[in-house]
Amino acid sequence: MILFILRRLVSVAVTFFVVSLIIFFMMHAIPGGPFDGNDMPVSQAVRDKLMARLGLDQPLWVQYTRYMWGVLQFDFGVPYQSPGETVTQLLSRAWIPSLVLGGLGVLIGAPLGILLGMAAALNRNTWIDYFASTLATLGLTIPVFVTSMLLILVFAVWLGWLPASGWGKPERWILPITAYALIPLATYARYTRSAMLDTLNKQFVTVLRAKGLSESRIVFQHVLRNSAIPLVTVFLPMFIGTATGSIFVEAMFRVPGLGAYFVSSIETRDYPLEMALMLMITFMYCIAYLLSDVVYALINPRIRVGGGQ
Amino acid sequence: MNLTLKITAALAVATALTIPALAQTTIVAPGQSTSGTYMDYMKTVYARATFAELLQVPIATFDKEFELTPMAAESWSQSEDGLTWTFKLRPGLVWSDGEPLTAEDYVFALQRAATTGYDFAWYWDFAGGIKGWKEVTEGTADVSTLGLKAVDDLTIEVTTVAPKPYLPSVTSLWYPVPKHKVDELGDDWAVNVDTIVSSGPFDLESWEKSNNSVVLTKSETYTGPWQAQIDRLEVDPTLGAPEVGLPAFLAGDADYSFLNTGQVPVATQRYPDGIRKNAVFATSYISFDLDSEPFNNVDVRKAFYYAVDRAELTSTVLKDIAIPAGSILPPGYPGYNEEVVAQAVFDPAKAAEHMAAAGFPGGEGFPEIEIWYREEGGYNGAIIPAMAQYLQAEFKEVLGITMNIRVLPTQDWMQGLLNKENNIFIAPYEYDYLDPSNFYGIFYNGGRHDHHIAAYDELVAAADSNPVWEERYDLYAQAEQVLIDNASIVPLVHPITIAVISDELGGDASTPNALGFTSLDRLGHYFFTHLTKQ
Repeated sequence: MILFILRRLVSVAVTFFVVSLIIFFMMHAIPGGPFDGNDMPVSQAVRDKLMARLGLDQPLWVQYTRYMWGVLQFDFGVPYQSPGETVTQLLSRAWIPSLVLGGLGVLIGAPLGILLGMAAALNRNTWIDYFASTLATLGLTIPVFVTSMLLILVFAVWLGWLPASGWGKPERWILPITAYALIPLATYARYTRSAMLDTLNKQFVTVLRAKGLSESRIVFQHVLRNSAIPLVTVFLPMFIGTATGSIFVEAMFRVPGLGAYFVSSIETRDYPLEMALMLMITFMYCIAYLLSDVVYALINPRIRVGGGQ
Repeated sequence: MNLTLKITAALAVATALTIPALAQTTIVAPGQSTSGTYMDYMKTVYARATFAELLQVPIATFDKEFELTPMAAESWSQSEDGLTWTFKLRPGLVWSDGEPLTAEDYVFALQRAATTGYDFAWYWDFAGGIKGWKEVTEGTADVSTLGLKAVDDLTIEVTTVAPKPYLPSVTSLWYPVPKHKVDELGDDWAVNVDTIVSSGPFDLESWEKSNNSVVLTKSETYTGPWQAQIDRLEVDPTLGAPEVGLPAFLAGDADYSFLNTGQVPVATQRYPDGIRKNAVFATSYISFDLDSEPFNNVDVRKAFYYAVDRAELTSTVLKDIAIPAGSILPPGYPGYNEEVVAQAVFDPAKAAEHMAAAGFPGGEGFPEIEIWYREEGGYNGAIIPAMAQYLQAEFKEVLGITMNIRVLPTQDWMQGLLNKENNIFIAPYEYDYLDPSNFYGIFYNGGRHDHHIAAYDELVAAADSNPVWEERYDLYAQAEQVLIDNASIVPLVHPITIAVISDELGGDASTPNALGFTSLDRLGHYFFTHLTKQ
């Protein structure tokens, strides 16, 4: 197992390096720079001054080497769109709302989805199953900005129970977290239902029933554990996906999170921030999949990693 | 008895302490850009923080009827040769930290802009015409040679390369920079709330950089004209998108909201007295590469000019959000000329004639073309995609040609335009200052487009320095006639923005001007200082 983890860590480092190269050179391959989007173009003299100020007058390989040397020392540079702080300071500031919303969204949505999926699987072809399946399908198919709008209209505009948007007071968190939670809820409901039905049809379940084990013991001790493998595979990447911010949910509810920076860093050619975001996502996904694999092996002793034993 | 008195006194004190807090008027308004770098208009215009300009007092600015009003300046005068303007500042103006606001702060603002790379530098060259500006920005002359001088604490002298009769209106974008702060902190004075000082009607209370929202408060130190009538102004750019702004407005979280097309009927029905329209001084037009086929043929360009049914366009797909454009100048803008506008008619027969004259009868043999427009939000985001599709269908029907559509990110689109990577674009432009030279300048001597038409350039240059306003307007009209005859561009529409405002808002700024328009934050200094709330 240790060897496996070490090998995966090396592959994380290689992935990180390759992604950094690809992102950096792709970013610079896109036409235009940070000062080329104005309605009236800046003169060459002004442009030269602005580019020199940001170090963009240097050859690309010099810029890349400098940037990555900084990254190795946890220095991601200064974002062009917020010159009074470092990229690290900006990310740690903006990440908190995204982490709160995304994290709580998954932590609330995933267990509810599992319960819903279980209820559907254990009551197959009943109204519970139909209800759960409909809810899961709607949660996955209706775009999140539509559900966000519906939540605002119902709970803020019509009923007046909650603020429409904004950030700060906990009551402002409720609607965006609900909007967030619908996605893991729907995903987990579908995964759980499908995995449990698959497990329930296995022969060992019939044997357990024949042995006279109670239905609750069969479900919670045996079926759920065997059904958990695909759920674990999905959980961490999904957590990363939501914890790094949702452009739509954050925009609809005016949450000052990370989501908007993914768009603005590309639009404004904010190279240091764009690189940092991409490297951060890459790193987190690598770690998430590494952890998933470890947990996957731990909960299923039949699976051996490293050398295919 | 004593106890009663004590309780009464305590209640009175508590009430007295509470009343000012309750009486505070706060307006929550949508902003524009969700990212901003410096709270300093003279450092960057395109990447400035939300309403950086509201913190400072310009030399002059415009009221709701677009009348130029002196602000920091008390008066101004022009020398006999027309080359030198003298601005006299009001005495008693101070920075919010108590330092006196002097002519040196205005001069320093432009000296720094000329030497450190200012993204709005073109303005002070083309519109301002300041002597030595071009040379200093290019680094071939010393900053001391600029035509700017602080004669004394209250007197600024500006020398221009040619007479600039409209220079006072150009100063509406001339804000001071606190030299004493820059000396101490450099440009970083404008990135932290604690170090930012103001000279205008508002002070900065907070700035949330994640979404570029700000809270401004009424300045206690500003003594100039147009003092704020509200205590606090919260500006949140995330409310700028109507899809977010209107629900927040309906829930009472915002005092006004811009509307998209789908929202207009709903809001009009619910708040018939709260609807406000603004003719943004902006124009969307088709721009050609005049040097490449097939648009190097004037007949082809004229065919396009006559093939646009602007009335149908603005009464159908762009209903409520745009009006027809027959000129590069929008209605109400100085120099707007009805005779010019009247020529932009929809005439399919004439369009067909020009196509035939160009060798493409009924569109036969005409190459497939692709029109490029840029991806953006705001009013352009609502107008341009729908308009592109309308034009695609119309050109097919009227001209018999196939026009594809391509949307590009802003930067790519601009590069495409400047480098002539395509031959036809939909180009939007919004005014920077209130003078015809602003719009005509974008086609002058290469300008924003690589158009070089000698007759046009001569007329625009002559108009620019002509001190007689009627003659200037006439010269500009002649210049636009050159554009029309050459079919250099095809004016399409002028955008209209629609907003719904709360019935709690009052004051002169909440009512329409003589043209029936309410500019809202497009005239920020006027609007936010003439707005009240019940």
